[in-house]
Amino acid sequence: MHEFRDSMKFFYRYLKQYKLSFLVALVMTVIAVYLQVQAPVFIGDALNKLVSYAGIKMTHAPGADHAWDLFIGVIWSLLLYYVFNALANFIQSIVLSISIAKSTNEMRTGLFSKLQKLTVAFFDRKSDGDILSRFTSDLDNIYNAMNQVLSQLMTGIALLIGLLIMMFDKNAQLAWVTIASVPVSIILAAFIIVKARKYVDIQQDEVGKLNGYINERITGQKIIITNSLQEETVEGFKVHNEQVRKATLKGQIYSGMIFPVMQGMSLVNTAIVIFFGSYLAVHGDIDKTVALGLVVTFVQYSQQFYNQIAQLASSYSMIQLAITGARRVDEMLDETEEVNPPNGIQIDGVEKDIKLENVDFQYLPDKPILKDVNIQVDKGQMIALVGPTGSGKTTVMNLMNRFYDVNKGSVKFDDVDIRDLDLGSLRSHVGIVLQESVLFSGTIRENIAFGKPDATDEEVIAAAKQAHIHSFVETLEKGYDTKVSEENNIFSTGQKQLISIARTILTDPSLLILDEATSNVDTVTEARIQKAMNNVIKGRTSFVIAHRLKTILNADRIIVLKYGEIIEEGNHEELMKENGFYAELYNNQFVFE
Amino acid sequence: MKEDQNDVNHYGIYLLVIATIGLIAGVINTIASASTAQGMIADIRETAFKKIQTFSFGNIEKFSAGNLAVRLTNDMNQVQNLIMMVLQTIIRIPFLFIGSFVLAMNSIPSLWWIIVVLVILVFVITFLSFGRMGKHFGAIQRLIDRTNNLAKENLMGVRIVKSFVQEENQDKKFKETSDELEKHTASVGILFSIMIPAFMLVANLAVVASIYFVGNLVDSDPQAVAAIASFMNYLMQIMMSIIMGGMMMMGASRAAISIKRINEIMNTQPDITFVDAPDYDLDGSVEFDNVSFRYFGEDQDTLKNISFSVEPGEMVGIVGATGSGKSTLAQLIPRLFDPQKGSIKIGGKDVKQLNEHNLHSSVAMVLQKAILFSGTIADNLKQGKSDATVEDMQRAAKISQAEEFIEERPEKYDDIVEERSANFSGGQKQRLSIARGVIGTPKVLILDDSTSALDAKSEKLVKEALDKMTGTTKFIIAEKISSVVNADKILVMNDGELVGVGTHKELVEGNDIYSEIFETQKGRRDK
Repeated sequence: MHEFRDSMKFFYRYLKQYKLSFLVALVMTVIAVYLQVQAPVFIGDALNKLVSYAGIKMTHAPGADHAWDLFIGVIWSLLLYYVFNALANFIQSIVLSISIAKSTNEMRTGLFSKLQKLTVAFFDRKSDGDILSRFTSDLDNIYNAMNQVLSQLMTGIALLIGLLIMMFDKNAQLAWVTIASVPVSIILAAFIIVKARKYVDIQQDEVGKLNGYINERITGQKIIITNSLQEETVEGFKVHNEQVRKATLKGQIYSGMIFPVMQGMSLVNTAIVIFFGSYLAVHGDIDKTVALGLVVTFVQYSQQFYNQIAQLASSYSMIQLAITGARRVDEMLDETEEVNPPNGIQIDGVEKDIKLENVDFQYLPDKPILKDVNIQVDKGQMIALVGPTGSGKTTVMNLMNRFYDVNKGSVKFDDVDIRDLDLGSLRSHVGIVLQESVLFSGTIRENIAFGKPDATDEEVIAAAKQAHIHSFVETLEKGYDTKVSEENNIFSTGQKQLISIARTILTDPSLLILDEATSNVDTVTEARIQKAMNNVIKGRTSFVIAHRLKTILNADRIIVLKYGEIIEEGNHEELMKENGFYAELYNNQFVFE
Repeated sequence: MKEDQNDVNHYGIYLLVIATIGLIAGVINTIASASTAQGMIADIRETAFKKIQTFSFGNIEKFSAGNLAVRLTNDMNQVQNLIMMVLQTIIRIPFLFIGSFVLAMNSIPSLWWIIVVLVILVFVITFLSFGRMGKHFGAIQRLIDRTNNLAKENLMGVRIVKSFVQEENQDKKFKETSDELEKHTASVGILFSIMIPAFMLVANLAVVASIYFVGNLVDSDPQAVAAIASFMNYLMQIMMSIIMGGMMMMGASRAAISIKRINEIMNTQPDITFVDAPDYDLDGSVEFDNVSFRYFGEDQDTLKNISFSVEPGEMVGIVGATGSGKSTLAQLIPRLFDPQKGSIKIGGKDVKQLNEHNLHSSVAMVLQKAILFSGTIADNLKQGKSDATVEDMQRAAKISQAEEFIEERPEKYDDIVEERSANFSGGQKQRLSIARGVIGTPKVLILDDSTSALDAKSEKLVKEALDKMTGTTKFIIAEKISSVVNADKILVMNDGELVGVGTHKELVEGNDIYSEIFETQKGRRDK
């Protein structure tokens, strides 16, 4: 119930600006329903007129022409009724579908722009697939439900109300009889729905497990082939497949039951109406001359009434999916955003130095990553961070960009705590190159100019030249307009990395962080990238995180991290003399003649 | 009057009986069609999955693993929906249509043309709107793909987006696509808004027309007046059957794409098959004779005329730049791919003459990317040797330096490996993956850059332990010369060619490419 209320709030938030559209749709619904309910009366009328005309014609009695005119008159108004009915339906539907398309668009763009504001911690915690499924299946479910259920809901409710009014208008006693069984049907429908929901939930779980299994096995197919595990894999699949089949079957049986059960109830109710109708006719509460016609009319009402209830009940599964979808989208919208200090200080780069002072940091409680770390870097210096995996090297990069905030101590740019700086200003002066070079779909030019979309061609080319990728781009047929994407691999890992270096160069950052920027390439390529890198590092303050020591031999200072603490510090020569952890690392990694 | 009431009561009971029968029939219909649909879809899914299990590396790469997974899940779902819909309507629609058509013709034969005009009009409206909708549906599918792709890239590159302060531009880009998507969904909505009322209008007009023309027929065909009510009813039924048919066609046209995609899986011939040969007792010698290999769709050979031979028990290093063909060369040994030219022999037997079990139990491969399956540690290790004992596991874990962290786990070898092996670090995953490779004491062991996440000390220990496996020929693909410096033989790859074979010492002196790599990794003896 709680979920239902929350999702109603969600829908209200997005739909409230279309109040006017909904009002128009509502008015149109009422008109269409009214015309739809009235039309049978006119048909009856037309048929009566037709019969009387035919009677006159047969008996050659006078007044045939007049009867014909009356008949034509009814035909005309019938025609008009239908045209207006179609028109009202058309307007209702068009107004609704446009508002629904628009509000879905707002949900989608709202979700995306929320993503832009969330913390890196959020993305590290959540799996990409889970976030993406909110864009795909959840928004899809919401759209489908709104598109198919909303107008049905409006028409259905209007019809129910209209039918109630008509029934009570005609004969209150029979009306009560007709709706007496409605609570029973609703309880019955609710019972089936609760059952069905349980199985639909189980079904979703099982489908999730099956999909998980399929994903895991197919991405690991190479292991399956090299170890000949095909049979075992198929056996595992069969178990999951059978579970899905069973759960889906039960869910579908229960959901599929609603319609026949409601139809059955409708017939039972018809019988009740007939019983009571005839009883009332015999026992005199109803005028006997109209009794038959009245009972027939109420039988029709009863059927229409149940028809609507059956349809509304069957659309519950869609509504349920939309409610779940709304909850999941809402969950994202409720996530805490990144904190940008109000009136944050704008900086023009680093003038003096950058300091990490007594920094403690942990991603998870009780699992400290950095313990009382102090690092001071003068402007223009190159600092290398070395250490085994999990020692906290990358964390330092995360802190400098304020992807994460320190738990204790502070990070300072020119003695100002970065938590007091404007987030955009800070980040635009910190440039990063990561191990995995992420390129975005688009042209090479767009990728290089990513951080500065209004860059001129000259700037792009200059950056590419500095990154030693220009001559390669020139050899491509379309040059800088060549499209790149994750799927088409026209670039080697090394070339992708050079493009991402060019991208960083173009933004001219004053602090540069290279996080294992070359550990994905071979050492010969690394040596080439290194040349490009030296261009970039020159004159800038830089942090270089490296696994391979070759790239950092010339650093002004090398900091060795282990278990979150600085265990050695100094330049290459000093550290070699110390003959500690660094020296061991060095001796293990290189080959000596 | 009393008799009348008895009559009425009679009809009431009659109705109750019909209601019960209808309810039972409805429930049976639901159960039957649901179990048929679920049975069918489960079978299709299983068949497709089994088919994929016969695929080779090449087959999978042609589809890409992610794509195959989507076909087995999302596309299957589409097909399932279609099957459900078809089962519920396929018998009903033709019956309803033909039956109502015949009955309508019978009731007032002279108004046949109204029915024909109605049918034609409905078909015209259907084709006009579906034609337009098809175009929009295509665009919608494309745009949904694009929005997903934008969101996916944004997630993968979240650090880049934030560090380059590009949140607003990303927003703008996404909004453009999303707006376009809105335009097309609204267009479809508008088309539907026209189509459905148009159907209703046409049907209603047909009703009005039939009443009118029956009025004209009073002279010539007085029976028509009596039949008009049933005639109108049949018109409505014809209309309903056409709308239902149209809806089914639309569903079918969407599912058709999925069916095609699943069929592509079914129709793919596995490009590597194994012979049904007896098990041979092989030694670990490996021989490449003039082997050339080209990946599907490439216009250049990835391996060019490779020939070399390796004695049993040797340790062989393979070095070369990224993309020089090192991994490809190694993958030909366990027949992950078959070369287009030349032959590969293990223990003197052509690999194509070996049965699958024989080959894969003789050759173990540890991939660059350590992949573990969810289950227990033991489950994963047993994938390398199905009847492995605890002692076997301990021995393998000792070699791969995994013993320490496994013993630290509360359940030891029965500890759980979560999905995506999230509860293990990169280094631990690699160690387990190496353990899986060595547990069966294969004749040939291939390590494809599989110690990259290990620290220098563990790497050294692993290497020393491998050295002691004297009955196993070891191929070690490495970026670092230091990993292979003591190998019996080093193969130097460059641009798909084998440009040098020899020991480290021989190559440093006589091989330019090797020297260049070495140069970038040579240490400075402390000054």
